[in-house]
Amino acid sequence: MTDQVLRHANGGSGAPAAGHILRSWARRLPIETYVIAFTIALWIALSLATPNFLTENNISNIMRQTSIAAIIAIGVMCTIVIAGIDLSVGSVAAFCGVAFAQMCGHGLELPVAAALTLIAGLGVGLINAVAIGRLGIPAFIVTLAGLQVYRGLALLLAGGMTVGGLPPEVKDFARGTTGLPNLFWAMLAVGVAVHYVLSFSRTGRYMYAMGSNAEAARRQGINTFRITVIAYLMSSGLAALGGILLVSRLSIASPSMANAYELQAIAAAVVGGASLFGGRGTVLGTVVGAILFTTMSNAAVLLGIDPFWEMVLEGLLIALVVYLDNMQKRRQAGV
Amino acid sequence: MRLKMISAAALAALTTVGLAPARAEDTVAVIVKATTSEYWQWVFKGAEDAGKKLGVKIDKLGTPKDDAAGQIGVLESAAGSKPSAIVISPTIFEALGDPIAAVSGAGIPVIVIDSGAKTDKYASFLTTNNEAGGKSAAEAMAACIKERTGKVAGKVGYLTAMAGHESLDSRDKGFVEGMKAYPDITIVGNRVANNEEAEGMNLTGDMLTKNPDLVGLFADNAQMGTGAGASINEQKLGDKFCLVAFDSDAGELEHLKDGSIYALVIQDPYMMGFAGVWYGYAAAHGVRLPKNVDTGVGTVTKANMDDPKLAGLLDVSKRKLSQFLGD
Repeated sequence: MTDQVLRHANGGSGAPAAGHILRSWARRLPIETYVIAFTIALWIALSLATPNFLTENNISNIMRQTSIAAIIAIGVMCTIVIAGIDLSVGSVAAFCGVAFAQMCGHGLELPVAAALTLIAGLGVGLINAVAIGRLGIPAFIVTLAGLQVYRGLALLLAGGMTVGGLPPEVKDFARGTTGLPNLFWAMLAVGVAVHYVLSFSRTGRYMYAMGSNAEAARRQGINTFRITVIAYLMSSGLAALGGILLVSRLSIASPSMANAYELQAIAAAVVGGASLFGGRGTVLGTVVGAILFTTMSNAAVLLGIDPFWEMVLEGLLIALVVYLDNMQKRRQAGV
Repeated sequence: MRLKMISAAALAALTTVGLAPARAEDTVAVIVKATTSEYWQWVFKGAEDAGKKLGVKIDKLGTPKDDAAGQIGVLESAAGSKPSAIVISPTIFEALGDPIAAVSGAGIPVIVIDSGAKTDKYASFLTTNNEAGGKSAAEAMAACIKERTGKVAGKVGYLTAMAGHESLDSRDKGFVEGMKAYPDITIVGNRVANNEEAEGMNLTGDMLTKNPDLVGLFADNAQMGTGAGASINEQKLGDKFCLVAFDSDAGELEHLKDGSIYALVIQDPYMMGFAGVWYGYAAAHGVRLPKNVDTGVGTVTKANMDDPKLAGLLDVSKRKLSQFLGD
């Protein structure tokens, strides 16, 4: 069942005391609202606690630090929506980043190199989708294999070395600003596009339907293989884009970069309300999830929190959010 | 169990009677900490070059990432194939001590490189003195701060690539100790990254936000140096800020050239691999070796980076051996 359906089902409950209405209204709010509220509260607290948080420079830093992780997380969220998963995104980002850097290093025009890299990323997505949708191998296994394969290919391609000597224009994009940091604009563009697909297109509706119940979706005549292909193309394509942007940001490509980004991406999507059982997940939630994690590591530095405690706190946050989300769903089901 | 014993006995009989074919060539196994990092690729390169000169086959071994249990497995399998010698860089000091002693005890000479292990049962130990390297970084930091602000004073921080690694901890310790010689310098912060350039870049930005008056930063390996350099370059602080980093890779070199990094403290991974194999071969032929060898560190700044003596250390593909070893 999708969130939308649940919300409709609840809409009809009676109209007793005002307090009750408020409570039932609060209960019906999607989990994103709470995560957004928590993030804003954290921002206000940090603004009061440290003079360095609410500065133009720091906000711009947070935007830059969030963008690449958020773009990759949006892609992973698309696979989570159809009750799949993509564990290969970190390795795909590294592989595509190294390929992009080597093409640039060999004198290929930047747009050509970027286009070829994105095509390579889409190719990876197609392979994943065929393995999952046609060969029937579980998504977890297919993309776990991809996590190894593409990291290995990245290392082979780079010979285990950092790839440097890139033309200076490579870093211009990620280091530049157009009002806001360019990276942030890239994230907004990706976010708006994917949000449009998920919320306003038939494909998007089918994705949620398939994630809620693949068998029912198939019986309704939805081509689930096509939906699988689209979801994994989005995931790997955005991972490839993330790899290109990472190279632009660092001005080098390292075959070991983007390590464990798949886990960060899943964490951002889940904190933003996506359900690993499928059928739930939004772009807004995922972006806020990514911003929340960036804010937490930013805060850890500004407040001088031990980096090991920071890891513990981030883990607890994931567990807490998912627990609250489940509790809310159970209550809704019980109304 | 029984079958195993019988086959082991049979194997032993075969070897003693000499029925097993004699090895066509000697093999030296080289086991590094992490096969996916550039630093260890240079160790392999040095080992292979030595192997070619000596006519020895080199087995390049190791785990993809730092993994002590995995490395013990690799060491035991390597020892099982009876190489002439084993060259190893232990991932964790405590964990690799006994396994190395066991291999030495079985009659295979072990040359330890780069990082130590808790045992004295090895033929020789070739390493950078990491603490001295950290002190060199502190000296470079002081020189830079003096050059740019006129006096050795202000706040500095340091970035640690990973927690709990003996060689990194020694560098940091050497740096902190070295900075104590300058009473007007205060060390204000230390962050630990996930050994990743992007995280090093983020943390550098955040440390500068927390302490806008930070005058210097020490990055304790190549990933941190590259990440911190990218952040300094992004904020265009190169000519005001003092970034000193360890090691040398493509990213660090670029930032040394564009002025974002003031100095690199470089080790000699190529020579650790080269000399490791050379020593292993010698030990296998009964040569007594010095127990501890310091492979040395050097400090490179933009001013001396074109010195031909340093060129091969900065970019190992340009490495030339001394005339004693031929080329």
